Amino acid sequence: MHNFYQILAMLRHYFFLPALLFALPTIYAQLPDDALMMTKGQWCILTQYTHNSWTNYWEGPTRRSNLNLGVVTTQSAMLGFDYGISRRLNVLGALPYVWTHSSASYLQGQRGLQDFSLWLKYQPFEANVAGGEVRLQATGGLSTPVSNYVADFMPLAIGLGSRTASLRGIVNFTHAKGLYVTLQAGHTWRSDITTDRDAFMYNNQLYYTNRMPVPNLFDASGRLGFINARLQAEVQMSYFTGTSGDDIRYNEMPQPTNRMRATTVGLYAKYFVWQRLALQAAYGQVLNGRNVGQGTTLSGGISYLIGTSRR
Amino acid sequence: MIITHYLRWTVVGLAILFSLSRCEKSPENPVLDPYPETSLDANGGTWKTCVLKSGSEIPVPAPIPPTSSVYQLELEDLKRQMAAATPEQKRLARLWGGNAVLRWHEIARELAAEYNVPPNYNPDGKTYPDPNPNNPAVYPRFPFANPPYTARALALLAVAQYDALVAAWHAKFQHNRLAPYKYDASIQPLIPTNDLPSYPSEDAVIAVASRELLKMLFPAEKEYLDRMAEEHIQSRLWAGANVESDLHAGRVLGQAVANRVLAYARNDGMARAGDQSKMDSIRADAAKRGIREQWHSLDIPERPAMLPLFGYVKTWNFDEATKIALRPPMPPMPGSPEFERDMEELRSIVKNRTREQFRIAAYWADGPGSYTPPGHWNRRAAELIQEKQLNEIRSARAMALVNTALHDAGVTCWDVKYHYMIMRPTEADRSIKTSTGIPNFPAYTSGHSTFSGAAAEVLSYLFPDHANDLQAMAKEASLSRIYGCIHYRFDCEVGLEAGRKVGQYAIQRGRTDGSQ
Repeated sequence: MHNFYQILAMLRHYFFLPALLFALPTIYAQLPDDALMMTKGQWCILTQYTHNSWTNYWEGPTRRSNLNLGVVTTQSAMLGFDYGISRRLNVLGALPYVWTHSSASYLQGQRGLQDFSLWLKYQPFEANVAGGEVRLQATGGLSTPVSNYVADFMPLAIGLGSRTASLRGIVNFTHAKGLYVTLQAGHTWRSDITTDRDAFMYNNQLYYTNRMPVPNLFDASGRLGFINARLQAEVQMSYFTGTSGDDIRYNEMPQPTNRMRATTVGLYAKYFVWQRLALQAAYGQVLNGRNVGQGTTLSGGISYLIGTSRR
Repeated sequence: MIITHYLRWTVVGLAILFSLSRCEKSPENPVLDPYPETSLDANGGTWKTCVLKSGSEIPVPAPIPPTSSVYQLELEDLKRQMAAATPEQKRLARLWGGNAVLRWHEIARELAAEYNVPPNYNPDGKTYPDPNPNNPAVYPRFPFANPPYTARALALLAVAQYDALVAAWHAKFQHNRLAPYKYDASIQPLIPTNDLPSYPSEDAVIAVASRELLKMLFPAEKEYLDRMAEEHIQSRLWAGANVESDLHAGRVLGQAVANRVLAYARNDGMARAGDQSKMDSIRADAAKRGIREQWHSLDIPERPAMLPLFGYVKTWNFDEATKIALRPPMPPMPGSPEFERDMEELRSIVKNRTREQFRIAAYWADGPGSYTPPGHWNRRAAELIQEKQLNEIRSARAMALVNTALHDAGVTCWDVKYHYMIMRPTEADRSIKTSTGIPNFPAYTSGHSTFSGAAAEVLSYLFPDHANDLQAMAKEASLSRIYGCIHYRFDCEVGLEAGRKVGQYAIQRGRTDGSQ
């Protein structure tokens, strides 16, 4: 059974920027990764603004800053949707516009439409246990860049330029009183990319090719929260790691081949202004990582529900 | 119970996901496949050398005759080694059996890329550490293989290989002892055969000469280079291409030639090229020429200028007076219509840089972590040599001509840069945002343009059927610096033209070296 308002809560996680891990290792997990589903025929539309910035980053295992980068800021404006094909099957999509800036560098910040993502989310099972409900879900997703942006321009690139496919499993328990816990883990396959240069260092070896490998990704997260008809609040912790790739070379710029890893904690709150309209805000902080910026993320969004509940 | 069933299913699913995620991704590199050598260049021993007085300067003792019992023993030993070769050794035999001149240039480019990282600033946030040639493995490792360093390195490598092969050719056709498979039909080499006399082994000569030069240039890589050279030399046995006495004579000759080139390199002026103590007088001289707004490092903290005295390093294909005569006139000064026109072009690119302009700027950037612009053209030369399947001595000649031209281009360009001390466009107008890093030396003239003009000119002479695309590449490399907004158009146009003139001197050497 689904709380009508609760449905809205799901979208916050869907609209992550899968490519932008260096800039945005944030509270957002990699995909639709919480446990909520639209009912048949319902639409939910989300717009969201995100601001991420960092001064320190990890060059391999070493945390450092760089006077020649100063503060690196990535902002995005995103439009997303979720549609209920049936009670057990949802389709979701998202498209962000991203722009970047470095406070110290003379390198020009980049801007543009990034990647369009599409997911199918399937819920094969739910059961009432221990005064609440347990749900198991699986999602599969695809994404592709929608503009010819420059991926090999990190950390000011707006994305990694890869096409991706992902699979994910989700377990959720929601108590009737409103407490809930969600655990999820997934794997993202990422295609090689074609770079503008035709030689690059990878794992301290020179390769004569413009085909650059972009590491696949494993991620997992857990969240603990409370929800009622007006308010939702949540704490979360997430982890992701590239499953191959190299370290940023000492005093060099990052590149898409780097094996990125981050552990992030986050807070999330949502206020239901009206049955169909909700405002949400999130905060995230990278605690530890490798080849990523130690980003702080703030975001705010509005979601709107179209269509009636079939309950 | 149904819940545990689903949970178990979930755990299995996650385990599968995790195991799928273990697979490693890696790009593949092309391999230089062996090809048959169509021409022997029997007069190669008479070609004009660069550092040696001539190919006959270093005598090579006569080999044991193929009829002797000692040579027969060597053949038996060779057959034993071939029979015992492991699959990996056979793979190496094919790898090194390709064009070994080019293989060593590949190694040099790789080292250049690995060492082309500017040192990070010290913890004080104000100063930079200096790479120390006497302690090369300690950070910041020596060398910082920036474009001038790499240009000189590739030229020295190419010259050593070329002179060593001219000397080897001289000895080969003096003694005329052929390859072991010519005397024993039971030897089936793993690589294409030829009629070239095999004493002394050209591969041992190349391996030792290359190893010695690269050891001086990248002193922290001694072990790696020793390993590569031994692998190369031993691979000739696994391939069935040389007997031990071929290799031994090649080692001795390669070392002797390398010693001459090393002596040249120790006195070519590079040792003081990084001297910062002359910067005050350089600035004062430029001011006397009327340059008021001069270049300063845009790195934070301000980084010592890159090799301010590289312009005094010895050139290969012309003398000091010619270098000074090649100096272009003063560029347009801020406030002049010509200067403002070129600035306006950059401002409009900043506002509306196309994806294609970005691509071109990135393709030719060859910045930190790359083999630098000289490495880019070195690679292009290698590709053309491979395409035309030149033999080893002709490959070495082509590489010597191209890489000495690149070195000379670097020297003349650096001479001009620190003669005029022209500021970067971003210094003239801080709103000029770039799509590639701003190099740490004055703007005028463009190094990329000078390198590219010189290399394209020499390669057009060597490979005339590619002249059009080579000239187009040089033009694009030159323009790439405008698209990146790190150079004014006048930097690039004057640099490209100066580079072409530099290239002509290498062509002059090529026309008179006796290889026609």
